[in-house]
Amino acid sequence: MQLHARCIAAALCAAMFLAGCGGDKKSGESADFARQQAFPSTYSVTQSRPVLIVGATLLTGTGEQLENTDLLLQDGAITEIGEGLKAPEGALLVNGSGKWVTPGIIDVHSHLGDYPAPAIESSEDGNEMTSPNTAEVWAEHSVWTQDPQFALALAGGVTTLQILPGSANLFGGRGVTLKNVPGRRVQDMKFPGAPYGLKMACGENPKRVYGGKGTAPSTRMGNVAGYRRAWIAAANYRKAWEGYEKNGGDKPERDLELETLAGVLNGDILVHNHCYRGEEMAIMMDIAREFGFQISTFHHAVEAYKVADLLAENNVCAAMWADWWGFKHEAFDMTEANIAIVDQAKACAMIHSDSAVGIQRLNQEVAKAMTAGQRAGFDIGPADAVVWMTLNPAKALGIAEQTGSLEKGKMADVVLWSGNPFSVYTKAEMVFIDGELMYDRADKARQPHSDFELGILNAEGERL
Amino acid sequence: MKKIAKYKAAICTLFLGLAPFAQAETLLIKGGRVHTLSDAGSFERADILIRDGRVEAVGPSLEGGADRVIDAAGKVVTPGVIAPVSELGLTEIGAASATNDYAVTGESIGSAFDPLPAYNPKSTLIPFNRAGGVTRALVLPGIQLWGDTAGNPQRVFAGRSFAIRLDGGFDSVVATDLGQRAYLGEAGGQLAGGSRASAYAKVKNALEETREYRANRDAIRRGEWRELNHSLADLEALQPLLGGEQPLLVSVNRASDILQAIQLAREFDLKLVVLGGAEGWMVADQLAEAGVPVIVDAQNNLPISFESLGARLDNAALIKRAGVTVLISGPDYASTHNVYLSRQSAGNAVANGLPYEDALKSISANVAEVFGIEGGTIEPGAVADIVVWSGDPLEVTSYVEEVLIDGKLQSLVNRSTRLRDRYLKPQQGHDFGYKF
Repeated sequence: MQLHARCIAAALCAAMFLAGCGGDKKSGESADFARQQAFPSTYSVTQSRPVLIVGATLLTGTGEQLENTDLLLQDGAITEIGEGLKAPEGALLVNGSGKWVTPGIIDVHSHLGDYPAPAIESSEDGNEMTSPNTAEVWAEHSVWTQDPQFALALAGGVTTLQILPGSANLFGGRGVTLKNVPGRRVQDMKFPGAPYGLKMACGENPKRVYGGKGTAPSTRMGNVAGYRRAWIAAANYRKAWEGYEKNGGDKPERDLELETLAGVLNGDILVHNHCYRGEEMAIMMDIAREFGFQISTFHHAVEAYKVADLLAENNVCAAMWADWWGFKHEAFDMTEANIAIVDQAKACAMIHSDSAVGIQRLNQEVAKAMTAGQRAGFDIGPADAVVWMTLNPAKALGIAEQTGSLEKGKMADVVLWSGNPFSVYTKAEMVFIDGELMYDRADKARQPHSDFELGILNAEGERL
Repeated sequence: MKKIAKYKAAICTLFLGLAPFAQAETLLIKGGRVHTLSDAGSFERADILIRDGRVEAVGPSLEGGADRVIDAAGKVVTPGVIAPVSELGLTEIGAASATNDYAVTGESIGSAFDPLPAYNPKSTLIPFNRAGGVTRALVLPGIQLWGDTAGNPQRVFAGRSFAIRLDGGFDSVVATDLGQRAYLGEAGGQLAGGSRASAYAKVKNALEETREYRANRDAIRRGEWRELNHSLADLEALQPLLGGEQPLLVSVNRASDILQAIQLAREFDLKLVVLGGAEGWMVADQLAEAGVPVIVDAQNNLPISFESLGARLDNAALIKRAGVTVLISGPDYASTHNVYLSRQSAGNAVANGLPYEDALKSISANVAEVFGIEGGTIEPGAVADIVVWSGDPLEVTSYVEEVLIDGKLQSLVNRSTRLRDRYLKPQQGHDFGYKF
């Protein structure tokens, strides 16, 4: 096996500035509010053996289902899709007969590493619940890379995931997008060039947590005042820096909290907004218009179906569950057709987990949502539904140029399934990330185990 | 069963006139793939004749007509799903405390707590889960283990239980006092003051006093006895545990904690049911030998605590192979609102080695058997709780087409379908408000 290290971070970062893949970067400004290079990605691909999957059913993530098709992965990228492809020398040949292939699953909402297993108080690092605005915290600084849940998600076909701070705050802090590979440091997992996310939260959580402490906000209108006040401050902060860079004078003082918000105003940081209710989504979209930023995605959008047309109009995605409901009043109006209705309204719809259990079975969750859509009378098949766990979350994360579909030139983030992925009996057999075989169900040597799992339960073995 | 019959009589008297009286009609479910989950096994194609709410006959091409025929050709027919653990009718919205009645905190009562008067058959969770194929459910109180109102540390027993039919009727309680639930392991330790050993001691002490009370009831009641740690109401509620008249559900996950629970069961002649049992596979032979059924969350493979480091997806398959009776609950993460997802869990258990028919039984027949309630099989004389599925009931793309409870066809409409139909095509304007 030929081994070499290849850092693709630099190349991709360069590409990002050219293509503006962090969002709509406005011209004429240079302030680096996103601080993309403060904790730079050190992600690397260590095995670049070509892979040829022969004669599988491909769900491309672009709306197509291709039967009996070959897929060639080379140097970390998808290089050929077609019939009768020739295997390069030394390639890993995979018989795809009866198997299905999808792009790697992308979960836009996870807390792995920040709320690791085992869940003990001392490692619950997912939410800085000390102020309604903690835009200054970064989820990556809490990630315990040895969380054994990463490997379980990998076995479920998850190749990329965004780790978000919790939802107790109006502004919870920055989210980080990771490749699901073992890492000694979180930087080893960081998706090269992926823009940062900003976690915001609507509704019950912030008002309960802070209202319960006798501080603002204690109502939904208090929430909105809190957002607007913060965006006013961020706009002023941005203006001060831009003025300084243009005209000189006194250098403004750096402020971590405002830097993150100003990064959103610049279009470099994407807003990921926990928001259940239709009314609140509509208000949030107006706030975005008032302050000139774009919301990437509403998360836990249980009522997205009620405002699906507005989401489409405003180009805002919705990340949803298949059927969770009832744990809060704002999660009471659940319909299993939610994702399908949003999709049919031409808005960008996707599944998400927010759960270390759910993340292992996002294909099953999509299957349920697809079925609910069919029962609602929509013409939705596997080729459409697969987009809800691949390309649309990639769009939400600002990485759709690089991954999320089986297209030539894209990262070779690929899952080989034992059959139709939308069956309870189907399992991910092989998971490739940038062309590297990160998980092989048939080969224990290619199943990662975190440090935590060594010598647990059995001193001479690993957890399971 | 005697107990159930007596209770039903009482209920009928109470709600006389309200209960929809069983129609004297016959119903034929024709031509489906039938899993009877009884000794008769499965039929590739069979008819089911139902008369007066009960199955009269099952077999390929039954002769004769019926008042009503359901065409099940190409469909799969099974007994209704039975939830082994739920809070149905005791909760509406998780984070709205006024709508929750399944756990009391800060009270001295434990095993005597009876949630039955709080049962609300009109809860929205009932039609939703019925539309998911659940026809009966055990309803058990729990002890809240988190938050400001976490349980009184003196209590490791949660209280009394009952079973319901999911037809939403005021007479839908079908049986009461089907088991008690106690906490050992980490949760027990938390409730009992910091050590799982203290939880064990508390359960043991409660059972000892229960035995003492049984032998000396009159003297104790007259007050001519030493002071006991438990109230008489608590000790009364625990009486049926001795000798196994009622099962004791014990929440435990760690292998060594499971063994301790088995030890307790031996000492007090309990009918133990392990709830959770994440590391059950490590002590599968001991569970089998002691005849202890396990209620498994078949989607739980997280080492989420130090007592469940051995959690794995093939737990159900491994303990079944050793001879343990497996019951599969709704997945913990989805709570009682989606208790019907036990079928998805059972499908995952099959994907991880549990034989198919055993998986079907684990969400129906085994639950009925362990708790001694009706349902769970399709055989002559059985109550006609039956589901017609669009396909394999354990498959995530299958759905419910018909539900019968006590032989009566049920509505599958619920808030989820109502909201769907209102917003199929969301648009500007106020018309939606006039769409029902």
